[in-house]
Amino acid sequence: MANDPTQGAAMDCGELERSVDAWLDGEFDARERAEVEAHVAACPPCRGLAGDRDAARAALRAKLREAMAVRAPAALRARIQGEIAVRRLPLWRRALSPIPIATAAACAAGVLVVLASHGGGEGLVDEAVRKHHRGLPLEVTAASVGEGSIPEWFAGKLDFHPSPPRFRADGVRVVGARLSHIRELPAAYIRYELPRGQAGLFIVDDPGGKFGAEGREVRVGPSVVRLVASRGYNVAIWRQDEIVYSLVSDLDEQALRDLVRAAQGQ
Amino acid sequence: MFGTRQTDLTRSEFERLALEHLDPLYAAALRLTRHERDAEDLVQDTFLRAYRFFDRFERGTNIKAWLFKILTNTFINRYRRSTKERSIVDGAERDVHDRFVSRDATEVAANPEKAFFEKLLSDDVLRAVDALPIDFRMVVILADLQEFSYREIADILDVPVGTVMSRLYRGRRLLQRSLAGYAAASGVVEAGEDGSVDLEAYRRRRGKSA
Repeated sequence: MANDPTQGAAMDCGELERSVDAWLDGEFDARERAEVEAHVAACPPCRGLAGDRDAARAALRAKLREAMAVRAPAALRARIQGEIAVRRLPLWRRALSPIPIATAAACAAGVLVVLASHGGGEGLVDEAVRKHHRGLPLEVTAASVGEGSIPEWFAGKLDFHPSPPRFRADGVRVVGARLSHIRELPAAYIRYELPRGQAGLFIVDDPGGKFGAEGREVRVGPSVVRLVASRGYNVAIWRQDEIVYSLVSDLDEQALRDLVRAAQGQ
Repeated sequence: MFGTRQTDLTRSEFERLALEHLDPLYAAALRLTRHERDAEDLVQDTFLRAYRFFDRFERGTNIKAWLFKILTNTFINRYRRSTKERSIVDGAERDVHDRFVSRDATEVAANPEKAFFEKLLSDDVLRAVDALPIDFRMVVILADLQEFSYREIADILDVPVGTVMSRLYRGRRLLQRSLAGYAAASGVVEAGEDGSVDLEAYRRRRGKSA
């Protein structure tokens, strides 16, 4: 209410009612404070109102602090620290790329940190299924940027370059993608629409080889693929060098194998 | 190697400066997402982003505000659309009504001298906060729990200071009204004849009897 300072004392009760909070919050400058104080001094009902608001504000803040006093789970802190440690790896690897032994040592050190901070956590499959199942919103859709631009969208957002497989099968359509993470590793997530149902593909850079021991090993075309059933989903996991692909689908096992075969260009 | 030492330094600086604020960020994330797993994911994403953009953080400025900006942005962009928002005002009022109608009449007479907020259970406070529309909830959490200034909140949420002020005003009134409902339901204050709960009326009555 930036009016003539000589009008300050003329702040009406409605204005006072609306500005009491900001006044109590210490947000007013000297002139605004003077206006409020002049009104309150001259107007007993508003004085009462300000007193009530002050008491309610203090009580509310105390109650909120009491009710919301929580500590972050220790596992979350450890996970974040592990994640930051892992994030460092690509820089190491780039810096030391002519020295493979040092690279391997750096990876091993990173993995040790991760495992130490994450002994009893859920596995790759459980986490992938849970995340796929929740259907979190996509950050980019094929409808908006075109299916072919999805891999580009990930550029610079992850410490590795995910190259989503092309499914050479009828009726497989990219819906969109988002950033995700599996345990402390950043992941690319791509959602597909299938002729019947949906699938979600997680791509994770896993230089330490900590994923991949789950499930039953089957041969699909030239590759070894692991199949796991979890919470109503069939999941196929395969690896190309350091990159782990984990495809969560509501297909039956045979249809999933066919889809994976299509992804391998067979 | 220089690059390596640089990275180590950045990492330890980040851990020292940023991880200190893990608890308040988690507390806020819990109330934004209303779900423990989502809150953990949100906080983890927040720290990851913060670390990725740590070089853009201006040393010497308020890192807590910077982290909260990342948290609220991440929440709005990724999680908000996925969590079904209840129609806030309706929700809060319906909740109050349900509690009020089902209350035990004998409880209502109990101990009206007690200060209004004192007897409220933390669970009721959390429920009332969670029922606030998200825009109001964010401002109330930032102002009344984290004690950021209006200017800082405006920067965090990318809205004008005037918007912060009006959201805070309305958010607090909604919250008080809904807390008054819980208080009535548990007998801390008496409800009016029409079933409405009026804190001011309660105060006036209390003033008269004193």
